[in-house]
Amino acid sequence: MKIHVYAALKDYFQPEFEVSELVRNTDELKALLLTLNDKAAEILSACRFAVEEGFIDNAFKLNEYDTVVIIPPSSGG
Amino acid sequence: MNMTPSLSSLPAVADSPIDMAGLLSLAHHPGAGAVVLFSGEVRDSNQGKAVSFLEYEAHVPLATTLIAEILAMAKQRWSLHAAVAQHRIGKVGIGDSAVVVITASAHRGEAYAANKYIIDRIKHEAPIWKCEHYADGTKEWGNNCNCHAVTGDIHKHIYE
Repeated sequence: MKIHVYAALKDYFQPEFEVSELVRNTDELKALLLTLNDKAAEILSACRFAVEEGFIDNAFKLNEYDTVVIIPPSSGG
Repeated sequence: MNMTPSLSSLPAVADSPIDMAGLLSLAHHPGAGAVVLFSGEVRDSNQGKAVSFLEYEAHVPLATTLIAEILAMAKQRWSLHAAVAQHRIGKVGIGDSAVVVITASAHRGEAYAANKYIIDRIKHEAPIWKCEHYADGTKEWGNNCNCHAVTGDIHKHIYE
């Protein structure tokens, strides 16, 4: 599974990386990411997730070929 | 060949300076007695620190889709003749426009209300982020929307 992160999340993770562990939903993905960097807990709790240019929630079933985009809270304007 | 841009062909996210006059010229409409233009511009200070410039990053496909949805919703709700929004990415200098929203309606009340609705939703929801670059060489990702701390839902926001 490919992971893309943006903005402040890049202070915690590489902009793009892959995970090989089985993760079935966004909660499991967040838990895995916290094992990589537990300092990201606060910002991850506020992030949205997207796959194929659509936002997803925890009910969305992830698969190993997905590219998951992790969207921090907005700060445009 | 006529190369005049149309509202529908405008990119919602742009990596070059916003042509404010050009956008405004596209928003005129014979039925519109009011045209409101909001420009969000880069300040030279933030929280007491001198700012050199801002750098904006976006997830362009998601931001483009979301801004289009917001504009369509505003056009329908306030019966607008035109609704335009464009947000910068990349380096934006002091005094330059980072985002422009233009609304045109028969009367000013609708144009003002719709304009505020659009910019509020863009600031809270669009996957666009600013990084403040300070004069002392430090940088900081800017003032994120923190509504979820109150609403308990990262998809629910509080608007003034």
